[in-house]
Amino acid sequence: MAQYIDDDVLVCRCEEITAGEIRAAIRMGARDVTGVKRRTRAGMGLCQGRTCEALVQQILRQELGIDTEQVGGSTPRTPQRPVTFGTLGGEVK
Amino acid sequence: MNSYDVVVIGAGVIGTSCAYHLVKKGYKVALVDRGDIASGTSSHCDAAAMITDKMPGADAALGHASIQRFIQLAKELDYDFNFEQRGSLYVCETDMEMEVGSGYVKALQAEGYPVKMVDPYEMLQIEPFLAKDLKGGFWSDECSQLNPFKLCFAFVEQFKNKGLDVYTYTTVTGIKLNEKNAVEAVQTDKGDLVTKRVINCGGVWAKHIGELSGLDIPVLPRKGVILLSETTSPICGQKVQEFGYMVTKFANVECDRDPELLKYNVAFTLEPTEGDNIMLGSSRNFVGYGLNTEIEVINAIAKRGIRFFPVLKNMSCIRAYAGVRPFMEDHLPIMSEVDEMPGYYIAAGHEGDGISMAPITGELMSQLIAGEKTTLEMEPFRFSRLKQAQAPVI
Repeated sequence: MAQYIDDDVLVCRCEEITAGEIRAAIRMGARDVTGVKRRTRAGMGLCQGRTCEALVQQILRQELGIDTEQVGGSTPRTPQRPVTFGTLGGEVK
Repeated sequence: MNSYDVVVIGAGVIGTSCAYHLVKKGYKVALVDRGDIASGTSSHCDAAAMITDKMPGADAALGHASIQRFIQLAKELDYDFNFEQRGSLYVCETDMEMEVGSGYVKALQAEGYPVKMVDPYEMLQIEPFLAKDLKGGFWSDECSQLNPFKLCFAFVEQFKNKGLDVYTYTTVTGIKLNEKNAVEAVQTDKGDLVTKRVINCGGVWAKHIGELSGLDIPVLPRKGVILLSETTSPICGQKVQEFGYMVTKFANVECDRDPELLKYNVAFTLEPTEGDNIMLGSSRNFVGYGLNTEIEVINAIAKRGIRFFPVLKNMSCIRAYAGVRPFMEDHLPIMSEVDEMPGYYIAAGHEGDGISMAPITGELMSQLIAGEKTTLEMEPFRFSRLKQAQAPVI
């Protein structure tokens, strides 16, 4: 069993969201990664959840007693990593 | 068995607003959604409530009344949805856009809405990062921004378990009617909800919910792609759009457009978010319910963004996302009872204005159900107008 993450631990570093805020979102009705994301912004920052997603999943599993599949992940989105609008707009460097 | 005064189907911004306004009037309400709150169009959109993207007439009247309702809701709801009335700027790239745009501004002014023309100098004072070769534009103090998911949560949280029961992850399987064709219950995969009144707030899926009862609700999914920047220091103060946006939204606004932009129906629109990102849009296409973000569309949106805000060139995009908007042929939502099915109501088809018009929609639907005088004349939004439009000409 994974270790319990204390409420004051920063889980999403990009958006500065703590484990306690994630638990509050779950109490409000979040059941999966995207539900937590919409209620807290965890996973919406520069890294797009690459760092915190596994921790958010762990908290969801522990709080709701559900398995990895039910917890889900965030929707994969273009671009894979930050890219300038110039590059996306077709500018040649 | 659970029984309710009203069952609302769809926990997007329209459904949550209807549910809130009904509980406020004292009704016992169930809110049902097959997924989570705000898990469809209402979380795949932008975040503005505007008057300057509405057509003069019924459309603008709805937009204006909704902003007035937003101002009250910001005080009335305990959960902060980050409402701010910052105004909005429209910019014109060509002389033709200036001509069509100024006619549009005059029409809005004639109806009493606060919109004014601004010259290129004033535009640059408002937005110093704007391209310097634009012809002019218009400004309205009334336009506002907010966080759309938080708005849905705010509507739900206010009365949750205090008049409002939330049935998320619950799929509606049918509407039970009695021998007089009147609503008796909403059937779901978790059991029946007994009620005499149901509102279909299914947005782009309102059509499918309607089909369960043999109703033809002609809402079509129209996809829009939006790009989101990294967090930045502010490069814009509020919503900025090109007038060409109106051309992509309404078929009756005619202006010459670059064929490449027309291909994906792309127009420049920019807004700052409460998380200090910049939202850059957008496109409008009929390509079904899929949420793919095609690279050609992303390319066209980025290019168009840089045309109006050259500073974007070196800023990073962190994600692209798409949502499907509930499109109606005549650009007016359905907010109506269904004459042939007593107790069945529809509030759907707001296209890209669902967030903008949610407050007034909830208010009007609650008034309609209570049999009260409505804030606005409901005739333009009646469901029966669509049947008349489809009727064969003899």
